[in-house]
Amino acid sequence: MVIELAKILVFPGLVFLFAYAMFAQWLDRKLYARMQNRVGPRFIQPLADIVKLFSKETIIPKSVDPVLFRILPYFAFAAVATSFLFLPIMDSPITSIDGDLVIVAYLLTIPTLVLSLSGWVSATPYSIIGGIRCLSQLFSYEVPYFLSLLTPALMLGTWNINEISKGLPGMIVAHPIYILPVAVAFMVGIIALQGKLERKPFDIADAETEIVAGPFTEYSGRLFGIFRLSLDMEMIVGVSLLVAVFLGGVYPFSGALAIVSYLVKTIFVLFILAYIKTAVARIKINQMIDFGWMVLAPLSLLGILLVVLLHMGGIL
Amino acid sequence: MVDIVIPEKPPKKTKKSMMTKLANWSRISSPWIIHFNAGGCNGCDIEVLAALTPLFDVERFGILLKGTPRHADVLVVTGPVNEQIKSRLKRIYDQMPNPKFVVAVGACAASGGVFKGCYNSLGGIDDVLPVSAYIPGCPPRPDAIIDGVYKLLGSLKKG
Repeated sequence: MVIELAKILVFPGLVFLFAYAMFAQWLDRKLYARMQNRVGPRFIQPLADIVKLFSKETIIPKSVDPVLFRILPYFAFAAVATSFLFLPIMDSPITSIDGDLVIVAYLLTIPTLVLSLSGWVSATPYSIIGGIRCLSQLFSYEVPYFLSLLTPALMLGTWNINEISKGLPGMIVAHPIYILPVAVAFMVGIIALQGKLERKPFDIADAETEIVAGPFTEYSGRLFGIFRLSLDMEMIVGVSLLVAVFLGGVYPFSGALAIVSYLVKTIFVLFILAYIKTAVARIKINQMIDFGWMVLAPLSLLGILLVVLLHMGGIL
Repeated sequence: MVDIVIPEKPPKKTKKSMMTKLANWSRISSPWIIHFNAGGCNGCDIEVLAALTPLFDVERFGILLKGTPRHADVLVVTGPVNEQIKSRLKRIYDQMPNPKFVVAVGACAASGGVFKGCYNSLGGIDDVLPVSAYIPGCPPRPDAIIDGVYKLLGSLKKG
């Protein structure tokens, strides 16, 4: 009981998630700065930002719905923190049930919905536009994201994240041809994750040059701090999910060394995300919808088609 | 009649608690700014934007430019305040959460500059808002603006 609680709250649960989210934000900003030929923030910077936001005054504007305005950030935080429990950080995740891939995918949708809802209750033009953009974005990346997660699940015939991450490396070693659908799905997953986290080129919802800060416009102090924290954590959860589903989780190592392979793989994915963020500029919302449905969705369907054909072709 | 005796409160402890120190450190480490033009000639604004370019890289100090006053800690104002913008400036300041600071950039913001005595303008930012730091110059160089914000943070450290 005590050990379970410590696992959930400290390692590999909430405290580890918080610390790693801070590290990932620093890494992201530092890589972004170095690629722009800048020095970049200090290591302690994300922590200072969060502590500052928590120690600032929280303003509840008159025009908002006070109850919804206050509780929405906690919803995003709770959804993200819960979804982390299903991901294999050490040898096995804290909790694992059949179909937890679906659970995590849906829990990761909640922050986006909360974001759009918070834009709506803020009742200012900027935040409402931001909220609507959030939702329209959701329709373009969510389907490719789910379909790309479906590809390895179809390959192994299971919906359990832990079983997928354990089974995938062996399968690819046995039949190297399966690297094809996984590579296609991983590519789609990375791009869709970029949209899910609302980073460049898909930071349309909180485009600071157009609509100030999007859904966050009216949020200040502690509530904004919780939002920021939950988005940072969402990045870790999203990256960990990709690592678990496409890169074989903690594959080469087991036991205490498992955390090393987890860290190496997640940092590799974080690097790709930072690289995309630096290399591209923001696109328009209609371009994003076009891209999502014309490029990403067919690509993810191609991955699934490859798996089906390979299964029918008698390999495995 | 019964004499009502009001007990004297014990003197407050002068030693700062751990949490206060932590909050103070975080405020110094992560000043997010919002930039507002209160009727200036745009000269200072160009220099403020130049200070935010990769050449100077103020993210080293944790300084970020924010679009909304709700997220900002430091209000960077340029220009003498004219009558039309006075209420807007006041409103922007009121929308910022406490603790908040105002930095007046340029000669006009500090004293009214060449617009001093005009029928439509006031004599600088401090006629409307409490100012924490003045950065002189017409316009001040980006280095001077960064130095001004840095000195403001240094004064916060002292208390």
